[in-house]
Amino acid sequence: MATPGTTQEEFTLDTAAELAAEEGGSKIEGKSPWELAGRRLRRNYTALVSLGIFLLMCLVCALAPLYTSHVSHLGPTFANAGGVIHENGQTIHVISQGGSSFSKNGQVHLTAAGIPIGPQWGASGGPYFFGADQLGRDVGTRLLYGGRNSLLIGITASVITTVFAILLALLAAYFGGATDWIISRFFDLIWAFPVILLGIALGTSLSINGFHHGPINIPAGSLLIPIAVIAFVFIPYIGRPLRGQVLALRNREFVEASTAQGAGPLRIMFTELLPNIASSVLVLFTLIVANAILTEVALSFLGAGVQPPKPSWGTMIADGENNLATDPWLAILPGIMITITVISLNVFGDGLRDALDPRAKVRMEH
Amino acid sequence: MRTKRVRSVAVAAVVAAGLALVVSACGGSGGGGGTSATTSAQGQTFSNLKVVWGTTDYMDPGLSYRLESWQLFQDVYLGLVAKRYGTCGVGAGCTKIIPAIAQSLPKSNSNGTDLKFTLRKGLKYSNGETVKASDFKNTIIRDFKLNSPGIGFFSNIVGIDACEANPTKCSSISGIITNDNAGTVEIKLQQPQSDFLYILTTFFAAMVPSSTPQKDTENPPPAADGPYYIASYKPSRSFVAKRNPHYKPIPGIPTGNPDQITALMTADLSRSAQLVQSNQYDYDENTLPTDRLKQLQQKYGTQIHLWRTPSTYYFFMNQRTPPFNNIKARQAVNYAINRQTLVDLRGGLGVPTWNFLPPTYPQYKKLNPTPYPYNLQKAKQLVQQSGTKGMTVGVYTQSDDSQAKAQGEYLGAQLSKIGWKTQMHEIASANYFVVVGNQATKAQIGFTDWYEDYPYPTDWFQVLEYGPNIHQIHNNNNSNVNFKDTNNAINHLAHLPPTQAFTSSTDNAWANLDKTLMTKYTSEAPFLNAVITSFFATRMNPQCDVFTDLFDDPAQMCLK
Repeated sequence: MATPGTTQEEFTLDTAAELAAEEGGSKIEGKSPWELAGRRLRRNYTALVSLGIFLLMCLVCALAPLYTSHVSHLGPTFANAGGVIHENGQTIHVISQGGSSFSKNGQVHLTAAGIPIGPQWGASGGPYFFGADQLGRDVGTRLLYGGRNSLLIGITASVITTVFAILLALLAAYFGGATDWIISRFFDLIWAFPVILLGIALGTSLSINGFHHGPINIPAGSLLIPIAVIAFVFIPYIGRPLRGQVLALRNREFVEASTAQGAGPLRIMFTELLPNIASSVLVLFTLIVANAILTEVALSFLGAGVQPPKPSWGTMIADGENNLATDPWLAILPGIMITITVISLNVFGDGLRDALDPRAKVRMEH
Repeated sequence: MRTKRVRSVAVAAVVAAGLALVVSACGGSGGGGGTSATTSAQGQTFSNLKVVWGTTDYMDPGLSYRLESWQLFQDVYLGLVAKRYGTCGVGAGCTKIIPAIAQSLPKSNSNGTDLKFTLRKGLKYSNGETVKASDFKNTIIRDFKLNSPGIGFFSNIVGIDACEANPTKCSSISGIITNDNAGTVEIKLQQPQSDFLYILTTFFAAMVPSSTPQKDTENPPPAADGPYYIASYKPSRSFVAKRNPHYKPIPGIPTGNPDQITALMTADLSRSAQLVQSNQYDYDENTLPTDRLKQLQQKYGTQIHLWRTPSTYYFFMNQRTPPFNNIKARQAVNYAINRQTLVDLRGGLGVPTWNFLPPTYPQYKKLNPTPYPYNLQKAKQLVQQSGTKGMTVGVYTQSDDSQAKAQGEYLGAQLSKIGWKTQMHEIASANYFVVVGNQATKAQIGFTDWYEDYPYPTDWFQVLEYGPNIHQIHNNNNSNVNFKDTNNAINHLAHLPPTQAFTSSTDNAWANLDKTLMTKYTSEAPFLNAVITSFFATRMNPQCDVFTDLFDDPAQMCLK
């Protein structure tokens, strides 16, 4: 990922005349920049539909407990490997049974086993609507709970990343000098590592025994570990472009005026500079959420994110990989969920950027 | 040894007599059916056998402790004696030992502490060097210098103490006396040891030239004294084995059918099967993937062979830490697992077991009635009675072995059902046994398996269930089993006079030990004995397939 076009020289704020020219004749007098952005966003139906899809996805995943209690009647971690279901008077094993037997001459006879039942589409009265995984867990239930975990991690990590990135960017750009040098080198240091490799290194080491230092005690398997790891690795990806923008702003007249009025650094940073980078923060946040979800999926797929038996879309794909030949839906279903979520977020993020700053140069390549 | 995994260095000396009896037992009944060994290549030779092979740890016989290497080594590196090259079936048939580099099985004194071998004449390594008696001694010294995982096997040899104290400085072993001119090797043991001849069949005792560098030698691996030598090896990618141009046929050891064995190495079971299914390769060394077993079996039934193995898969329960220092907790685990389900999770490739010793052993006696039938309700009661309900239990398993992962996660799910909170720890198989074998990890419960190194119960009870064999790191006794009476029993059985080591009463004593550990102490939760697959391409004749106890013999494979 990179954010070209965000250097001090390239950054500009839209003037009223420029904005008016881009509004296609619509009146802009008396409208705040946010109102104008809202108007542009409302006209962008693709972005709105994408936002709707994303919110629908969040809503569906949030309702996972309802699905469990009213439809599947199986919890997300309930393994029913030796269990059966009844369908049209027939008893069906959730995992096919078999085994090996031996004849007197030593020959082995195998009845192959271990294949989970496929989607029942409601024929079983609720359980296994989307089939079972290799441990007899309900795929539908895990898909929703997995989505909850993936979205929770993605969004929470992005919030943490954004907060830290804003603070560091403001400090670095406002104070400059040694503060800027230290923070910038910190950004460079993290930036130098490929996100996934750094995530794997941190996630693997923390997932074995957790994090126990001083008053902080995070047990192994806690969702806080992937949240912290993902939040950490993405800080420079927001921090660096924001620092560039703040650098461009700190010598502008309105900052000098505020200084002349006796405002202190904190006041200038949070009441003058921060509102002026808010639109970029919003756009970058939207895009980083999509990246954080993808990173969570990748880390969980590789065993360095969400730890079993908790579900996530990444662990579900990893589990399903072993059954691709016979039960491809185990990997395909979470894959579809990820694709829909990430595309909807990215399309909405693009629309939001166009609305907030039609000539913006802030881009995230991913 | 464990599948695809290294085990620890420490194997205490088993002290029991019986070499003469071992020899007689080994030459005894032929066990179950199967194809007999082929020792002549006449008429069945072909130019190149293309195989897909699992990845391994080392390709040096002094260092490797994995099935994948040992399967190839059986046709490459020979020791003084070797295990029989034939399908062994079940029981005593699997225990036969034949002379290899030695002319005959050793002459020994009455208590078996002084073994004398005479080497065959005119044998040469693949690099042209003559096979000398002193090579045996230098091979053992080299093992120590390499800090080989097998050095614990030799701890009963006279004069080994200095080498054990400082392996990398090992320079001489007074208990191994060799004479290159006469071609004799004499091994003096501190005390009788019933399984010593079996230990000499492991590849840690397979002879390499004295000129072999005393460091990991893999590219190419050390010169061979067997019918093939390894011409090249690219770790995790490929190897090529060719006929040893200097090999002089030895009775009982197949000269081999293919002139060359070319291997692609991969740990991907699906890819492995696909390459053989499409006839790009002739033989799949990896086990067939669970999800495709049924389909492949239906379509290629005659090209697939199934073999029972001397193995036990079990869940260890660390008795040094709660809750498993309480026998009720251990019993609860045994009641909570449905062994048939665990077999199903392996695709059906296994047989449920409650014994620790596998049924391939003459010492095996099936526990009857089944001591722990699947009973979740009883398991819940036992957890309640143990006073550990609600405790957090860390469950360990492997992250990249789909079957071990499924079995470990199943265990975690069952423990949650009976009243414990579980926390899964999934670790890559390359590091798994290092992590759980370190006492600092305090691994409470988890997946493990064991495949025999040699067919005698000491390889099970003394290595895995013997208190004095608990170690701080590289610990194979993952449950930290340490009971005074079973320790004494193991010690006693290992010290029996020669005339009793292989009698039915001794077999019964081993069987009773198995029963005591599994029922009185519930030291482990064994769940299955594994079956493994051999998959051949259509040009191959599966009738030639010879399964030598642990693996197929590639040298004896032939075309249709």
